[in-house]
Amino acid sequence: MPRILSRRTFLMTGAAVGGTALVAAVGATGYLASLDVEGLHGGRLDGDDAILNAFVVIHRDGTVVINVPRTEMGQGIHTGLATVVAEELDIPFDDRISVVFPTDAHPAYSAWTNALQVRPEEASGPVAWFGRRVLGQLGMIATGASGSVMGLWHPMRVAGASARAMIVAAAAERLDVPASELTTEDGMVIHAASGRSLAYGDLAQDAALLTPPDEPRLKSREEWRLIGRSQPRIDIPAKVRGEAMFGIDVVLPDMLHASIRHAPVFGAEVAVIRNEGRVRAADGVLDIAVIDGRHVAVVAGSWWQAEQAAWLLDIEWTETGNESETSDSLADRMYAALETDTPHDHIDEGDIESAFAAPDARLVEADYDVPYVTHACMESMNATAVLQNNLAEVWAPSQNRATMRMGVMRGMGWAGVRPDEVTLNITMAGGAFGRRSDLDVVAEASCLAARYPGRPVKVLWSREEDIGRGVYRSQAAARLRAVLGPDGLPSGYDAMVATQSIMNAMSGRNLPVTVGPDGDYLSVEGLEKAHYAIPSRRMRSQNVPSHLPIHFWRSNGYSFNTFFTESFIDECADAAGADPVAYRRDLLRDNPRHLAVLDRVAEMAGWSDPLPPGRGRGIAIEECYRSVVAQVAEVTVSPDGEVRVDRMVCALDAGLAINPDQVVAQIEGGIVYGVTAALMNRITIEGGAVAETNFHDFAVQRIANAPRIEVSIVESDGPPCGVGEPGVVPAAAAVANAIFAATGRRLRSLPLAVTETIGERRTRSVLPAERA
Amino acid sequence: MDFTVNGELRSADVEDDMPLLWVLRDELGLVGTKYGCGIAQCGACTVHLDGMPVRACQVRAVEAEGGEILTIEGLGTPEYPHPVQQAWIDTQAAQCGYCQSGQIMQAAWLLESNPDPTDDEIDAVMSGNLCRCGAYPRIREAIHAAAARLREA
Repeated sequence: MPRILSRRTFLMTGAAVGGTALVAAVGATGYLASLDVEGLHGGRLDGDDAILNAFVVIHRDGTVVINVPRTEMGQGIHTGLATVVAEELDIPFDDRISVVFPTDAHPAYSAWTNALQVRPEEASGPVAWFGRRVLGQLGMIATGASGSVMGLWHPMRVAGASARAMIVAAAAERLDVPASELTTEDGMVIHAASGRSLAYGDLAQDAALLTPPDEPRLKSREEWRLIGRSQPRIDIPAKVRGEAMFGIDVVLPDMLHASIRHAPVFGAEVAVIRNEGRVRAADGVLDIAVIDGRHVAVVAGSWWQAEQAAWLLDIEWTETGNESETSDSLADRMYAALETDTPHDHIDEGDIESAFAAPDARLVEADYDVPYVTHACMESMNATAVLQNNLAEVWAPSQNRATMRMGVMRGMGWAGVRPDEVTLNITMAGGAFGRRSDLDVVAEASCLAARYPGRPVKVLWSREEDIGRGVYRSQAAARLRAVLGPDGLPSGYDAMVATQSIMNAMSGRNLPVTVGPDGDYLSVEGLEKAHYAIPSRRMRSQNVPSHLPIHFWRSNGYSFNTFFTESFIDECADAAGADPVAYRRDLLRDNPRHLAVLDRVAEMAGWSDPLPPGRGRGIAIEECYRSVVAQVAEVTVSPDGEVRVDRMVCALDAGLAINPDQVVAQIEGGIVYGVTAALMNRITIEGGAVAETNFHDFAVQRIANAPRIEVSIVESDGPPCGVGEPGVVPAAAAVANAIFAATGRRLRSLPLAVTETIGERRTRSVLPAERA
Repeated sequence: MDFTVNGELRSADVEDDMPLLWVLRDELGLVGTKYGCGIAQCGACTVHLDGMPVRACQVRAVEAEGGEILTIEGLGTPEYPHPVQQAWIDTQAAQCGYCQSGQIMQAAWLLESNPDPTDDEIDAVMSGNLCRCGAYPRIREAIHAAAARLREA
């Protein structure tokens, strides 16, 4: 029987299983209770560095290093979290501040709040204990789920305030005056009464040895000088000079380079390399290594030589039984799953059976689907590793320190090595979108490093490996049903999605325990529609396993479920003869926060202004990552059916915007990512393998045809919410709904405007055959 | 093989057919120029060769021999950034920044050849440069801002 698990139950169950060994190893809860997990009780000196706590280091010259344990992958997180520290530390946001990703796994850096879906400032009791004391110890320092600001803004405010209080206390002692007579300004502690002042840099060494305050006073909103005002990003000057160090840019003395070939059909192993001798004789080739029986690495003095030789490889792969799988065969399995009666139940509220059995029920029903897609980060997958005296050190643009560490242990294990110590360096990432939480490339580099002790090895995947042999967002199909009451609004809503469980597939490859598919909320998020006033709701899912490595992909389940549901709500509105905005306004009548966003976007878009024939507007709204986001797409469909997205208008309530300009930038980028997926992204399975290979056949949005974008932030008194993913979420439905408005044609499959594949990719007419 | 890179004479002992991209990155240590696709589809490796923007992944070392090469590292200095770099900072155009070396080199050439491009002209010249972060609206804005700055200069 399917089980119903809440998000939190599921996560705590999964995490608790993973944590069992650790808890057993450390013995008793008494030990756990003794651990410093707040990160604020560890002031110490390290040479000239005054380490005030886990987040704040001050040098004698007054420069401040802020530890931001989240990957900078374009979202501006180093700037955003440094801002809240600088605010409470009461220093200007200028070039005295630098940010580093710390190499240690302090419990305070853990993303346990993401895992438990809580805000640290609100967590208390057993949840906080479990999060801080148990999950905090697991080293799950992860960047994702749009959760970095939600999880760290409060702890890092406290860290900044605590550091400031320690500096003021040191000044009070030095000046022999009460701390209450001291103020701070521009990196100085000032005693106005005596006209004396001391610089933070002069005080930090003393301050680091003081006991931190138990509860440092945080500034009130009225006192903020940095938060809520757009600070320029710390990383941009280096990026425009080409000086930012991405993983691919790591250069070490005596470094070897490797290019990898993975099996075309996932899961196959290397049977034989038919021409190994010839490849070994190629220019610069030093070795050919088979990694874990599955991948072939060509190792050379330069990456170009390794890659050239890798093209020569003639590898025979073992049969897997999946050689006849295609996108269609996998889609058939998903549609077949929608017909079976053993789904995972997630929600069953009201009385769904009676709602659908009502004698006057007007039924609306539709099936939708989306294809596989991949991330195509501009910086291809890479990692650099070295093993010296059985000490391992690795550099990678990883999103997850825990899976990165597991990758090192697994990869070195393949070479029969268990390192005594592992040092992990997380670099800047050239895009990530969920992709870089997989341990794959880290394991490969680590295996090779263990094979050549003392020699650093950099593994870089060619773009062809990244697109064609990587990890993927699953294909998905859904069946949505609603019954409309006399007022035209749904009295019952019944949703089922069939897809490969993201959590199940991801954890199977990357975590010590495989979790799901039971209760995998990632696969159903966006299906729930809890914000709509619908008396009876049911939400179910079917896990359809395949041989494909399914992974996180920017906004996960929302990336398809919101396309399904917000298209479907438009279909309901159409069946009821209602305007799509007015219809949603009725459904959102109990949610003023959603209504404000809906009304804002409609006003910005000029929703009621008429458009000429061939043009149309579509709306979609979603609640995700604690934000509410709504978009209106404006499209033009040419007489021959070609679609162009002219304009995307977005309103967003993301709570407090610490850096409004960067919130807007995230939403702009998310919209481009979402429109790209809506119009053109598709990974095609042929013969069990991915057919696409590079940017010529895996199309992504270019600047020409990129829509005009307008973003408005709805003011909020609430704490910050997620912004990295919400921009993606409503885009596909908004565009599909706009195409419907322009043409009367309802498109229920993504991508909306590109069909066919390999050599035949062409723009599809969005008009029905007789009109095209 | 000799090249003039960012005004300096540089030598590298490489095969004739090694792409300029890998000569710059792995032989000369200039890692600001990025690998994106290897087939001239993304523009991340854009540099100037004798004053023209080229995809360094498609230029063989022997073709660049003796040439004047300008990379992102030679475009401006921290004290005196190129107007395009300054416009990128002013508009906060970059997100992950990985494609931006190529975007900036392409844009710098665009403004040399066309001091006041329209949106359509920007689209035509910049469409070979992919950005997965979707910074396109700000890239357009930055190019207009840099054009204005250059016209004032």
